[in-house]
Amino acid sequence: MIFNTLIYYFLFLLPAAGLFRVVKSDWRPLVCIVAGSGFFLYFSITQFGGYFGAACLLMFVWESLFSRLYKKGSIFCLIGVAQAVIFLFIFKYWNFFTGLAFHFSDENPLHWSSIFLPLGISFFTFEFIHYAVDRYKGTTEAGRLRDYLAFILFFPTMVAGPIKRYQDFLPNLLHPSTDFTLDWNRGITRILSGMIKKFAVADVLTSLTNHLNHADIAVAPRWVLIIWIVAYGIHIYFDFSGYSDIAIGSARLFGITVKENFNWPYLQTNIADFWACWHMTLYRWLIDYIFIPLGGSRVSPIMIYRNVMITMAFSGLWHGAGLNFVVWGLWHGALLCGHRLWRTWRDPLPAETSLGGRLAGWALTFTLVTLGWAFFCMDIQTALFFFQRLLIG
Amino acid sequence: MDWIKHLLEYLGGEKDIPPAGFPLTLNSYWWGIWWGLLACAILIFCGQSSKFIYIDF
Repeated sequence: MIFNTLIYYFLFLLPAAGLFRVVKSDWRPLVCIVAGSGFFLYFSITQFGGYFGAACLLMFVWESLFSRLYKKGSIFCLIGVAQAVIFLFIFKYWNFFTGLAFHFSDENPLHWSSIFLPLGISFFTFEFIHYAVDRYKGTTEAGRLRDYLAFILFFPTMVAGPIKRYQDFLPNLLHPSTDFTLDWNRGITRILSGMIKKFAVADVLTSLTNHLNHADIAVAPRWVLIIWIVAYGIHIYFDFSGYSDIAIGSARLFGITVKENFNWPYLQTNIADFWACWHMTLYRWLIDYIFIPLGGSRVSPIMIYRNVMITMAFSGLWHGAGLNFVVWGLWHGALLCGHRLWRTWRDPLPAETSLGGRLAGWALTFTLVTLGWAFFCMDIQTALFFFQRLLIG
Repeated sequence: MDWIKHLLEYLGGEKDIPPAGFPLTLNSYWWGIWWGLLACAILIFCGQSSKFIYIDF
């Protein structure tokens, strides 16, 4: 929702982007802050937790004030990371982890039945963490309070990314593009093409992907199962890249350039390139704030594989509070490890230089990524049943 | 392939300039027609379902 409501465009986007263009530069952060706060309050009250959800705006206020304590090497940066993780843990994973702890008891006494997910928490907490870590390392400047508030409350990307970096956003905020005609031409075109992806492709495919449940899988022939899972892979790509188009196009109306999230991932010929082109701002975040702190590639080969698996397991868990998402992440971790092993053994890859080799690489990558979606869209039992029906019959 | 990708990205609003060798200069009228076509397609298909997968997941 949100991006397919008229309210978003006529109450928030067009007035805010228009105002941002005409006010003096000192007032631009204020436009982002007021519009972003209004956006968060409105959609929280109507769709994300009601008034309790709206109260989560205090997290932004707290974060912005606390972030003024950040300095290079400061303990406050680490506390900032910890509190962002705690925000995310409480709202997104509380019931999941306490449920695991009380798996064998009849009832989870710690279950929080009225829990809600604050709007965009999976994304804005990642921006909080990025800022705290980069301030700790001294790789980003503090900026003014209003600039940081504008960064975290910039509503086109608040809900589901692309995940921004402060050092990228700040120059855009202070010196946005002044080519109004080009920006609005490109921005509106981008928004419309994103809607086409969502409405004309992704939503149409839900008539196929809705069948990915135990009852339908049990009676479907094998070739139909293949169509359903391929349809899901196409569906999720067009859904999320359509969303990203609308977010990036919306930002463009402000004159602000936001990083791309997708670059033809399904045309890539190996899994490493797939991940370099799929949800790119998340993948880059995972590399910078999980993989590299674990040691990255500057450790022994065994530890590199461990780091890849941990990073991708974390990626899976971030996508959803369920074991099936962890398995999906581990699936991709195993594919990345397999690819790395292959590259170590056969480097450079002669297959990638020939058309036949590239086609084979593409087919293998597409097949493995598509099969992996089974763990993304179904619980583990249903996914295993899907594979049983697909492979055994 | 790269030329086609560039063309699609240009028509989709991602690229600012058309690919080399693109025969038309798209002025405001062309973009108006293009937006009209996209809007018609959106009107035809909208209202079917469904929330974005990555929001509130």
